[in-house]
Formats: sequence, C-alpha cells, structure tokens
Amino acid sequence: MITFLFFSIRRAWQGFWRNALMSFAATATMVLMLLLLSGFWIIQTGLLAGLEFTEQKVEVIAYIQPNATDSQVEALTARMDAMPQVDTVTYVSRAEALERFRASMEEQGREDLTQFLESNPLFASVEITLIDPTAIREVGDALRQDMAVRNVINIEDLVERVLTVTNILRTGGTVLLIVIGVIVLFIIVNTIRLAVFARSEEIEIMRLVGASDAFIRWPFVFEGAFVGFLGAALTLAILAAAADPISGFMVEFFRVLPLEVGSLARDLITLVMGAGVGLGILGSWLSVRTYLIR
Amino acid sequence: MSPFPSPTAEILVTRAPAPTPRRSLRSRLTERGRRREQAGPDRAILVLHDVTKQYPNGKIALRDVDLVIPEGDFVFLVGPSGAGKSTLIKLLIRDEVATRGEVVLDGQDLARLGRRAVPKIRRKIGIIFQDFKLLPTKSVWENVAFAMDVTGTPRRQIRPAVDRVLAIVGLTAQAKQIPSQLSGGEQQRTAIARALVHDPRLIIADEPTGNLDPLISWEILQLLLRINELGVTVLMATHNAEVVTALRKRVVALEEGRVIRDEVGGAYHRED
Repeated sequence: MITFLFFSIRRAWQGFWRNALMSFAATATMVLMLLLLSGFWIIQTGLLAGLEFTEQKVEVIAYIQPNATDSQVEALTARMDAMPQVDTVTYVSRAEALERFRASMEEQGREDLTQFLESNPLFASVEITLIDPTAIREVGDALRQDMAVRNVINIEDLVERVLTVTNILRTGGTVLLIVIGVIVLFIIVNTIRLAVFARSEEIEIMRLVGASDAFIRWPFVFEGAFVGFLGAALTLAILAAAADPISGFMVEFFRVLPLEVGSLARDLITLVMGAGVGLGILGSWLSVRTYLIR
Repeated sequence: MSPFPSPTAEILVTRAPAPTPRRSLRSRLTERGRRREQAGPDRAILVLHDVTKQYPNGKIALRDVDLVIPEGDFVFLVGPSGAGKSTLIKLLIRDEVATRGEVVLDGQDLARLGRRAVPKIRRKIGIIFQDFKLLPTKSVWENVAFAMDVTGTPRRQIRPAVDRVLAIVGLTAQAKQIPSQLSGGEQQRTAIARALVHDPRLIIADEPTGNLDPLISWEILQLLLRINELGVTVLMATHNAEVVTALRKRVVALEEGRVIRDEVGGAYHRED
C-alpha cells in the first residue's frame, strides 16, 4: 500500500514535469478559472454583507403622546422588548430629541433656531431595531395599538420595496455564482481531459503491458490533485497580492464595515483550495475512466 | 505420452481446470511441477474453440474459429485486411470478449476472467505492434522498465530484468537514447524487449515488420525466431509473403472471419 502510494506520487510528479507544456496549460486554466470563481465569490460575499447592513438599518420609530405617563412608557418598552422580532428598544426623551436635533443642525452648519422657542416642540419616541426586517408591519401594528403611542412613522411600504430589491440581488448573486461555478467546473474538467487525452497512448501501453486499473488511475488522480493544488496556491498568491486594493474597493463600494477580513480570507482559502484540488481530482478521475471502461 | 495421441487427449491436457482458490502454496508448486512435466510439444498455450465475434454494429469479424497453439510453437497468421486478424488479437489480449465460444489462454477462459484478473493475464503475453508504441519522451531503457514499473514490480528487480532483455535484443549500447534517435529496426527491437521483460509465455506480433525495409524485417524475424528457440510461443500476424514462405512455419490463414487454411510448413499463399 505504501509502495503503491509512493509509486503513484512518483509517477504523478514525473507525469507533470515530462508533459510540462500540458501541465502548465492546465495549471494556467485552473488559475484563471479560480480567479474568476473567487472574484465572483468576493463580490457575492460583499453584496450579502452590504444587504444585511442595509437591512439592519431598518428602524421603527414611534412617537409618544405628550401626556403619556412614565409607567405607560415603561409598559410600552417592556412589551416591545418582549416581542421575538425585536432586537433593541431605545427610549428617546423629549430633551434628548431636542439635543439630537441641535447636534444635527450644528453638524450641517445651520443656525440653531430652537433657541428662540419657548418650549420643546419635539415628541419623545421609542426607536426599535428589528432582528428580521420583514417583521416591520407586525411591530408597527403592535405599536399603533398602544395608547401611549401618538403615531408611528409609516415606512413599511418603503421597507418592503427595499426588501424586494435586496432579495432579487441576493438570489441573482447566488444564481450567478452557481452558473460561474458550473462553467468553471466544465472548463477545468475539460482542460484536464485534454491533458489526459494527449497521453492516451501511454495509458494504452500501460493496459497492454498488464498494468492494473489502480496503477493507471491513481498517478493521474494525484497529478490532477497536484495541478489543482498548484493552481489554487498561485490563485491565492495573486489574491493575497491584490488583497489591499480589493478590501479598499470593498469598503468603498459596499460600505461594509462589519465584514471580517479574517473570516473572509479563511473562507476564500477553503473555497479556492477545495475547488482546485477537488476539480483536479474529479477531472482526472473522469478522464482516465473513459480509457479504463472497456 | 502415447505414440498415438487421440484428439480428445489433447483437449484433456489443454483444458486444464481453472485454478481453484485457496490452495496451499505447496499444492500449487507440485501442480506446477506436474504441469511442467506435461509441457511437451502437445501442451497448448492457447485454445480457441468455436469462437465467434460479432461487434455491436452487427459486423461479424470471426466465425466459428477453432485454433490450438501448443507451447513453443511459431505461428504465422495471414489473410487480407479485414479478415479478422486484428479481432483475433484483441480477443487474445482480452481487449474484446468473444460473442460465442471459448478463448483459453494458459488454462484460463478469458471470458470468465474478472476485471482484476485481466491485467495479470496480459503479463503472460508480450505484444508487439507495427507502429512500435514507444513513449517518445522516455529512453530505450525507460521504455522497457516502464512495463515493469506500472505493474508494481519492485525497483531492485527492474534493473537486472531490463538489462537482460536489452542484451537479448542487442540494444545495450543504445539504452540511453530516445526513440526518435533510433532506426525503425532499433525501435521495434525496443518494443520486443518491452514485450519480453515480463517473461511472457506468448508473444503476439501484429505486423511487426510492416513499417520496416526488407533487410531490417529479416533482422526482426531472426530475433523472434531466437526468442521462440528460448521456449516462448510466437504468434505473428503479417502480410509479408516472402518471410512466411521462406520460413516454412505453421501458417493459419483467415478470410472473412474463418480459418480457411491451417498447415504446418506452409507458404503465404495456398500451394495446390
């Protein structure tokens, strides 16, 4: 068994270098295809993170009746907090609302006109963030039924429209990624098929001199794995070199701050290595099989 | 051996029962010893019994072929293109399976052979082609060693075996050259060395002189005859009438899938 493994790896290594032109062509195709795949995957990941970020910004704001008592407000916040769709509940008092307004006016460089007012015209409010933005209508309805609530800002229609768009983008991105994945699969398998075809005579001679199927197949499978590994390593090297501009672009384009570069890199390494080595093995296995089944 | 061997006696000897599994090494060794004693001129390495081959497209390449080749024989297989020579050879190396009938090689019915047993039976056969089928990137030595390497022979056994067969075919000096640096005759001798390296019982040569000029063809024939003298059975398919007629060996003629002539000491064409 060890001898056989050693034999297969030695023959795979020889096969790679003795057919250097074909091996490099296959590796180059592998690199291009993996770059394509990882490029789309990065865009898809960024898109998903961006969409999630946008959806997290969905907030229900309910203004409190000016005559509501503290206990009514407390009961309201407690009731909202208890809803499973609700993430956070923040009470903004009238004084805080005024402060925020003044701060935003100052930020925009506009004159603060509230100083000329005799009293605070703003309402206190409850700001509710959602775990799932699709629950906005339920939460809104629950708020409207409360006696302490003066009115709820009606953004349900807008949010639903935004959610439709994000869902289309999400599905579209996934479909595109799958299509790209299938294209990559076929191109890589076909390239390896060509490389094996170029050596069909070698396989024929092996069969004629009495080599068993395993002795014919495994060196090719190892060679395919090697081409895949090399292709994946080169792809990752290229991606690593381009990592700074890419992450710059991602942050710029998607405004994705919560995206963890560490986990993205880990997923990417798994994806590229898995796809490279896996497709290399699959391609060789299928290609050699056509010569063995007779 | 009886001085008057009956036809059935031959079949009894040649249709040795397929080896049953799980026997002791000792019993196998004694059996082998007994077989060796029997290995007189009458023991057949190859028996074809009523063999018919029909391809999936309906073409019948061989019809009811009966052929017995005793161990140590030298047989020419002749006939026009399309007569069924190539199909016959494909059946012998188990590249194809007979539609009907039995092909028994060294006591084993090829049709009943499992997938895993096929490579092992092929190691008992050395095969030589018109187009040599050498690997262009490997040297003479490596081409011969390749046959042993890919069958899992330990490397320390490969070197002496390759050196030995290269000496037999007279290519020791050219061992490091690659096929494109060799003449046609030398390339065919490399192929013969590769065919010999597994110590085969049977050499099948499919038009081995088809690409060679007459002088070189004779050289190859000489070599095959010498190998035959070493006790290896040789079956050679050929169109080379001059060689066949001059050597007066056994000639099996095929036409439209049938054996139309089988004579010892025959010529290429019928001599009536």
